[in-house]
Amino acid sequence: MTGRYVARRLLLFAPTLLSASILIFVLLRLVPGDIAEILVYQTGSESSAVQEKQIRQLRAELGLDRPVVVQYVAWLGAAFRADFGQSYSQKRPVIEILKERVPRSLELALLTILIAMLWAVPLGVVSAVRQNTWIDYVVRVLSISGLSLPIFFTGVLILYLLVRLFGWLPPLEFVSFTVSPWENLKQLIWPALAQAYYISAPITRLTRSQLLEVIRQDYVRTARAKGLGERAIVYRHALSNSLLPVVTFVGWWGGRLLGGIVIVEIIFSVPGMGSALASAVSQRDYPAVQAMVFVMALVFLTLNLLVDLLYAWLDPRIKYA
Amino acid sequence: MRRPPLRTLGRLAGRQPLGAAGAGIVVVLVLTAVFAPELAPHGAKDAAFSPYLPPSAAFPLGTDHLGRDMLSRVIWGARLSLWVGLVSVLVGVTLGGLWGVVTAYVGGVADSASQRVVDTLMALPPIILALSLMAALGQSVNNVIIALAVLLTPTAARTLRSLVLSIRESPYIEAARAVGCPHWRVIALHVLPNTLATYIVLVTVNISYAIVVEASLSFLGLGAPPDEPSWGAMLTAGTQALEPAPWMFLFPGLAISLTVFGLNLLGDAIRDLTDPRLRGGLG
Repeated sequence: MTGRYVARRLLLFAPTLLSASILIFVLLRLVPGDIAEILVYQTGSESSAVQEKQIRQLRAELGLDRPVVVQYVAWLGAAFRADFGQSYSQKRPVIEILKERVPRSLELALLTILIAMLWAVPLGVVSAVRQNTWIDYVVRVLSISGLSLPIFFTGVLILYLLVRLFGWLPPLEFVSFTVSPWENLKQLIWPALAQAYYISAPITRLTRSQLLEVIRQDYVRTARAKGLGERAIVYRHALSNSLLPVVTFVGWWGGRLLGGIVIVEIIFSVPGMGSALASAVSQRDYPAVQAMVFVMALVFLTLNLLVDLLYAWLDPRIKYA
Repeated sequence: MRRPPLRTLGRLAGRQPLGAAGAGIVVVLVLTAVFAPELAPHGAKDAAFSPYLPPSAAFPLGTDHLGRDMLSRVIWGARLSLWVGLVSVLVGVTLGGLWGVVTAYVGGVADSASQRVVDTLMALPPIILALSLMAALGQSVNNVIIALAVLLTPTAARTLRSLVLSIRESPYIEAARAVGCPHWRVIALHVLPNTLATYIVLVTVNISYAIVVEASLSFLGLGAPPDEPSWGAMLTAGTQALEPAPWMFLFPGLAISLTVFGLNLLGDAIRDLTDPRLRGGLG
């Protein structure tokens, strides 16, 4: 890995984050109907001159009457000091919401990845080693069906079965891991399973196709020729070489989990960042949405950066311009 | 001698039984979508019956909360989902692909500048970007297509870019340039044909992805307007009636899953067939 590539990749991080934050900022201001209108019209009465005046006042108070560029620069300056403003709907600093919600979603994401890796990689290995046998077909059908069952369908299906068979209901209060690990896991295991089933499909498929490719390499033939047992060939030589893309893929997919988490958290009533984001979007709570999407972009970009660096470091064959 | 096309198909189906099954599902789906007006017993928006009727002979899939025939809505939904999936993917992957091919071939500033735009679009998790786009554009079927196309463009651009970066260094490109081919001719006759397999795989794989994202947006209440027969929106309505009418979420959910399943099987087979390294068995 050349030092130049690393430097370039690191240098790109900040501008990308910046341009992404501009993109969100502009998109959010294209939304028809702002928070001032919603807050004032909440009473449900017809619009009147009084309300028009209220709206104007509220906009001035919230700084929404200033040009978008001014608003953005002000936002950026404050964001550097970890000050994301006040949430309109929750009436408290956005940073407090983030501190409360982010760890929960992070825990859910980690649990999901852990569960997915535990069953997906072994399945992929079995499928590759027994290519084109019935077991390979079963695993392939299972994993393709995992990809085909959208998270909102499996999620609702699991919820329905839990409710029907066990009378289980999503808990109303979130119990953190430090308070009671058991209660905490009982809350998160179902959403994690629903999501893990979905992401384990690509992991299984990737493990399978990578292993199939590696198993045809010369050094595997050499290993076989020197009389190594099939087990040693698969686990020591082939698997370790085929897991690299799988690991980087999981890192990359970890970012995409952030999107799926919105849906899972809503279905299973997990009060994490995803459900907070969804409600903030519907309430047009600009500061909250802006900050949450910004944090998601930050996590997403950091993961991508780590994956790229890992890849370049581990696979010197890759040439970067 | 050319083999009769039917026998070639049969041979392919024998080698890729899962792919053949996928193709079968996709064909049935396309036929359902095309002949929806003939197949559906009622209109998709006819709220003419009692609400929450369980599946019966008259209503094989039951009725929904507004008294609409679920079977008809699921059939019309095939048309909407396939239309949204196909158009958004063709637009997104084609535009993104051409963008990636041309900038990679030209290289230099054009390439780095375009990669920064791709970086920006890819800096947000896909669902989050789609969600923000839909919030800004407003809810309509066409806006869903636009949002999905925007979502797919950077992925296609990046995939084909990296492919063209390696194609560009191939001896046959050097040879074509050496005999005096102009750049446009090299791109059109030597680069593009070699990206075709990847393009086809991108399209088949992403149609199912687009259908899922469309349904996700509808599920979050930001997709097509609620009275449109979108499988995602039907599923959301069903989620709100889990106890009284489980068929309301079950059948649209099965329809999405079956569609995506068929498309994935087909895409998989196409990928295997176009990748010569995966032919043949172990060792």
